[in-house]
Amino acid sequence: MVLRPAWSQQFAPGVLNELQPILPLDALTEDWAWGGSTGKGVRVAIIDSGIEASHPAVGGPVQGYISISSGPQGLVSDTSPHEDAYGHGTACAGIIRSFAPECELYSVQVLGPALTGTGMVFAAGLRWAIENGMHVCNLSLGTTKREFFALLHELADMASFRNIMLVTAANNMPIPSFPAMYASVISVAAHEGKEPGVFYYNPRPPVEFGAPGIDVRVAWRDGGWITATGNSFAAPHISGVVARILSKHPDLNPSQMKVVLRALSANMTHTTARMHSPGERNP
Amino acid sequence: MDAGKYSPDETDELARSRQVIESQAEEITRLRSRLRIEPFAEQLREALSVASMAGTIASPVTHARLLEMIVETAAHVISARAGSLFLIDEKSQHLTFEVAIGGKAQEVRRFTVPLGHGIAGLVAVSGQPMAISDAAHDPRQASDIARSLGYVPGSILCVPLFYNDQVIGVLELLDKEGSESFTPQDMETLGLFANQAAVAIEQSRTHRYLGSLIAEIVQSLGTLPEHHKASLAEQMKEFADSVAADASYRQATELALLVQEIAWQGESEMRACRSVLLAFADYLRSRPANLSDMGSF
Repeated sequence: MVLRPAWSQQFAPGVLNELQPILPLDALTEDWAWGGSTGKGVRVAIIDSGIEASHPAVGGPVQGYISISSGPQGLVSDTSPHEDAYGHGTACAGIIRSFAPECELYSVQVLGPALTGTGMVFAAGLRWAIENGMHVCNLSLGTTKREFFALLHELADMASFRNIMLVTAANNMPIPSFPAMYASVISVAAHEGKEPGVFYYNPRPPVEFGAPGIDVRVAWRDGGWITATGNSFAAPHISGVVARILSKHPDLNPSQMKVVLRALSANMTHTTARMHSPGERNP
Repeated sequence: MDAGKYSPDETDELARSRQVIESQAEEITRLRSRLRIEPFAEQLREALSVASMAGTIASPVTHARLLEMIVETAAHVISARAGSLFLIDEKSQHLTFEVAIGGKAQEVRRFTVPLGHGIAGLVAVSGQPMAISDAAHDPRQASDIARSLGYVPGSILCVPLFYNDQVIGVLELLDKEGSESFTPQDMETLGLFANQAAVAIEQSRTHRYLGSLIAEIVQSLGTLPEHHKASLAEQMKEFADSVAADASYRQATELALLVQEIAWQGESEMRACRSVLLAFADYLRSRPANLSDMGSF
């Protein structure tokens, strides 16, 4: 028996799986990537302030709920349906469903009315999503507390190894925010464009993708709508696109997803790709 | 990249894109350098040094004035009609209005807002800045404070105040002058400004606390029953712990102690120390600003 250093076992002969070839990168088209897809079968966790399921923008049921908060005895979770404490999560849900109307939505409520333990609550919400079969996690929030750097990094790696796409909003404050700064996540900031579905690739990370998030009309609590600006609203654009791609190509891993997104970004000179909502026809 | 493989149209498009990227980069550089020379940065530095001066640190007026100045200068630089500053009260989990300027400022001061409400509350719990440009169209969506006052702003720009990775409050500006909404550049500028402001607020708070603590001790010495002395001792310990936990404060104290130690050696040692520090400060001022320590998105 050959002793191998840790991590090598999976590369041993007979253990290593044969890989299906990926299409040549420059042959990627929007039709290949998301044509005909509605996001069906893809589970998207919105780790945020809750979702108002009755809002017209959400356009259908929310498949699951979990609310996490910090109590005197530690963290408490509740899986009964909840509303949206602010409107922020509903805004994200509306944007995601506008691209992937048949995706399954799971509301992971971590932004409540209190600041106490927000870092731990946030990490617990992310862990729940990773361990409960989610395919995409929309993280239009993060923490700036360095004490959570290692814990969140571990969770981000775990998600990446399980082919779970973490789509994170970069913080537009001059202060690093986690997990948006990690290499394994799909980090998104707002660009000035108004056209839904137009996204850009930035070859100079940490923020790799840009999507509409400036003066965009988004759903808000109590059936309302607001015109808002923030990277928080750019991330769900990409989450919606990712859900739709994943519905057609469920075996893509996060690195491959980035390659697909990059190939179809609007600043790629050979493409005019734009994610249309499924009702529209691609030109 | 080999431009030859592209058609003339594509080459033009590439050149245009490059121009856009370059001009954006210039804009960011310009904003950052502006931030360093703008009067508000200067005012803030002055306010901070005033707040730190012995003799005035015990006065709560100085602290209030500092907060007021932060909102005034922010509103002035970003051209907002009104603005307010909220700090988080950890115990009650409320945002308390510390300062409000413009419009109906006097009425604003009466309110505190539970963290679970409004744009300010959302920014405080999420740590993400946010702007809204059509708040007036749906008053339900405007912040509680605006609703309670009967003053519904058209546009809102709200950024968190970070100190030591923690949100300590939020800075909110209302109604951009001459425009329907605040711009992403406003958001970036206010974000950078908020960072400086948060440091000033925390240091001023520490000094204020120190001032009132000393005043209390002086007043009570000798006249107090034992149990009250114990509570004072407890308070002092708490304060000492909080100062010890703050790296920037610790470093500043360490520096001050070093200078003090040198000064105790004698007049000439003190003069030498002063001229070395002045020369170093002069050198730093003459050097181009180093921007690499600022993350950007």
